[in-house]
Amino acid sequence: MKIMVPVKQVAALDEDFEFRDDERDVDEDFLLYDLNEWDDFSLEEAMLIKEKAPEGTVEVVVVSVGPERVDESLRKCLAKGADRAVRVWDDAMEGSDSVTVGGILAAVAKKESPDMIFAGVQSSDAANGSTGIATAAALGWPHAAVVAGLEYAPGANKAVARRELEGGTLQEVEVACPAVLTIQLGINKPRYASLRGIKQAAAKPIEGLSLGDLGLTPADVGAGVALSRVRRMYVPPKGRAAMIEGTPAEQAARIIEIIKEFKGE
Amino acid sequence: MQITRVLFENFQPKAIYLFYAFGYAAIAVFAWGAYTQIRKYRRGQPDPSWGNLAARFVDMVKIMLTHRTLKRRDTAAGKAHALIFFSFLTLLVGTATITLEYDILKPLTGWQFWYGKFYLLFSLVLDFAGVGLIGGLLYMMYRRKWLKLPKLDYARPDREPGDPDYDRSGYRREDWAFLWSLILIGITGFVLEAARIVWLADRPAVWDVRWWSPVGAALAHAMQGAGLSAEGASALRGALWWFHGLLALTFIACIPYTKIKHIFTASASLMFRDPLAARRLPKIPEEQASAGYKTITDLTWKQLLHLDACTKCGRCHEACPANAVGAPLSPRDVILSLREFANKTMNSGKLPEAAELDIHGKGVGQVFMETLWSCRTCLACVEICPVAVEHVPIIVQMRRKLVEDGEMEPILQKTLQNIHKSGNSFGESKRKRAAWTKALPFTIKDARKEPVDLVWFVGDYASFDPRNQKVSQAFARLLHHVGVDFGLLFEGEINAGNDVRRVGEEGLYELLASGNIGTLQTCDFKTIVTTDPHSYNTIRNEYPEFGGQFEIQHYTSVVKQLLAEGRLKLNKKLDYRVTYHDPCHLGRYNKGFDAPREVLKMLGCELVEMGRNRDNSFCCGAGGGRIWIPDPVGKEKPSQNRMKEAGAIEGLQVFVVSCPKDLTMFEDALKTSGFEGRFVVRELIELIDECVEYEVWEEVQPQPEPEAAAP
Repeated sequence: MKIMVPVKQVAALDEDFEFRDDERDVDEDFLLYDLNEWDDFSLEEAMLIKEKAPEGTVEVVVVSVGPERVDESLRKCLAKGADRAVRVWDDAMEGSDSVTVGGILAAVAKKESPDMIFAGVQSSDAANGSTGIATAAALGWPHAAVVAGLEYAPGANKAVARRELEGGTLQEVEVACPAVLTIQLGINKPRYASLRGIKQAAAKPIEGLSLGDLGLTPADVGAGVALSRVRRMYVPPKGRAAMIEGTPAEQAARIIEIIKEFKGE
Repeated sequence: MQITRVLFENFQPKAIYLFYAFGYAAIAVFAWGAYTQIRKYRRGQPDPSWGNLAARFVDMVKIMLTHRTLKRRDTAAGKAHALIFFSFLTLLVGTATITLEYDILKPLTGWQFWYGKFYLLFSLVLDFAGVGLIGGLLYMMYRRKWLKLPKLDYARPDREPGDPDYDRSGYRREDWAFLWSLILIGITGFVLEAARIVWLADRPAVWDVRWWSPVGAALAHAMQGAGLSAEGASALRGALWWFHGLLALTFIACIPYTKIKHIFTASASLMFRDPLAARRLPKIPEEQASAGYKTITDLTWKQLLHLDACTKCGRCHEACPANAVGAPLSPRDVILSLREFANKTMNSGKLPEAAELDIHGKGVGQVFMETLWSCRTCLACVEICPVAVEHVPIIVQMRRKLVEDGEMEPILQKTLQNIHKSGNSFGESKRKRAAWTKALPFTIKDARKEPVDLVWFVGDYASFDPRNQKVSQAFARLLHHVGVDFGLLFEGEINAGNDVRRVGEEGLYELLASGNIGTLQTCDFKTIVTTDPHSYNTIRNEYPEFGGQFEIQHYTSVVKQLLAEGRLKLNKKLDYRVTYHDPCHLGRYNKGFDAPREVLKMLGCELVEMGRNRDNSFCCGAGGGRIWIPDPVGKEKPSQNRMKEAGAIEGLQVFVVSCPKDLTMFEDALKTSGFEGRFVVRELIELIDECVEYEVWEEVQPQPEPEAAAP
């Protein structure tokens, strides 16, 4: 029994950041990298299942698509108890969109043939919320998104997932396995990876996969096949807010005035 | 007839044999107990304190002879103990001398010295010792029974009434049994002596020298006055002789099994004490797979010995800030819990399975996670323990295990991750570390780029906390004004790691320490200075083990020196009525008690000490990473407890601190404990700042952005 957990190393902004000269992204100098917050929860969910099952029966494999710096985040996953870590990269993959990344992950899944895939709902930097679902689509697997509660016994042919919807409602769905679930924050309490644990995980190997290993060609990935591209990244001008002082009547009069101004009267 | 000790007179040989049988039995029982205890200690891990034995022994003897540690903060008990100790020792030596002569020297060499003047003098000395022993014990009984000391009621803050190990009445019974058995041995000794004098009143070798045993003689006269005949005295002596002898032998047999063993364990504990305990926490060997203590056998032999050295005196219980505010921690109960656990699991021939040796949990003798996280590593317990029990290293080792298992408050977890990611506990950008210098009208040198005399290691709170930034700016002005050649590490500095290490995140500590050491080693400087006692402690005491040998001073001693040398001139004197709070890491940890007080004096302040000062300073509650964990709502905080103490000082104007965390904690507590407006909390630097007349800054050129100054 195997659970595959796709993870992403996300970028966070340092204060006082600057944009790249082409204005399509933040200058790399101002980015701090860390494991995507959602992935802490999806990995934890897999770890909980692994630890509940008899020892050695459940294998947790973390997979990430990204350059060498991603190893650091994969090590953190190993420190938390993942059995194996796989990093997929080829320079041709630079600029891939989330659907392409989903395809790459699906290719890894075909190789690994996991019983379940737990992805995060979204990444905190790009926030497309689509990689997990794209993986399911590429595999032709059922999926459940924004899972806030899960009942699943290792090896079972179905799982019950509670999906978080608007207004605090939950939708309980039964999904046939294998399936892709995208895990929501708060489903569990992610464990702490101690620095010693991370250091010790440095001794564990991180398996590397490239295009050829997955039966892909440079033409299948990268910016060239992306369905969308970034045109510009910028900080919008700050909105204006003003406190309206005075008696209720005066405040009302001022509001009417503002509305008229906006309507162009 | 010669004047000598009456020994076995009128005893049938059978009776003497019987007595020897009892004697050997007692020795055998003692030896077995000693063996099992030593076997228990040997089941612990190696400890670096082994070695240097001669020097350690001399140190131990000094402490025992002066009773220095026992007299602290409880002079009466210390003196009573000294009385018991020296009397007991004298009586022991006296009795041992009889054995030496009668059982060893006489049978082997025929030599006897127990005669005449020597005997009489000895008799006199032993009588005094007997009085001392009984007197000391009587005070101890009075103290236990009538003084109603809270530290002796054994109430446990970490267990609820009804919990299986809440009840400590067994300890109370043992305390009383100990006192009674000793005092009965003493009293029966005197009555026995008196009965012998009455019985042998017609023998000049006894009667004529009776006043060499003054207590016995006085009692003998009283007995005669009460009409006791020589025959009656003989019968009394026979019965009492056996009672006294058997009681004493039982006492000896009981030593390894009861609190009496502290005679040995406390001495050994003192002998192996570590002067840097908790000031320098133990490294984890590279090859060790798991961090910290999980099982009782993870403790070192010395720590297992510490557990047995504790006499439950309660000084740590009284000094502990966590215990004072009702947190579920008493250092004494941690030690006693672990002792009970060790005795339950490690005294038999074979050790149980590892699962039964786990010291974490909610079971009997196990230590709760909440208990461990309540500790502020302020060192009050270690510092006051009269028998050198080192509680804090055990607590931190146990926390290391909790950290490895992620058993901590989520907010603490978040802080540790922040420190890992950004190098500071505020989660601020590394680039902003020196942002506080922007407000200064001069540029501070970058110690990474040019040589300086003094590298200022600023620390997180002094760098990022807005209130403390003002203090940092004041100190920078002061150094600049005096013309000290100083520089900063700017964004090269990361959290020093003192508190991270005390939380138990050793891996992160190693990363931080080696990071700072690496940066400092590339710089050219003479001394490090810091306003942060926490950074001061770890750089001074712990960095050397990671290859960082630096000279470091706390700013208080630097300023004291500048003032004394006349380099820093005070423009005016302050007439404030102040009190001074010793930061744990400057005071107790590193004995920096005097410099701040001398500076206050030079400033002209009237210093009124709080009751708990210097080594007994009361922690603000921020240590051991507790500044990152909110205290429970609705309960008193240690800082509020401290404010109340300061508030009792009449006419207090300023509560002076010399630690960034203290400033944060106490300014908050000032408000929440209702003393706002009555007095203010100030950093010592701010008081100095008031007295210095600075040059006019406007003439100085504007300073470039620190970002631009750094690579």
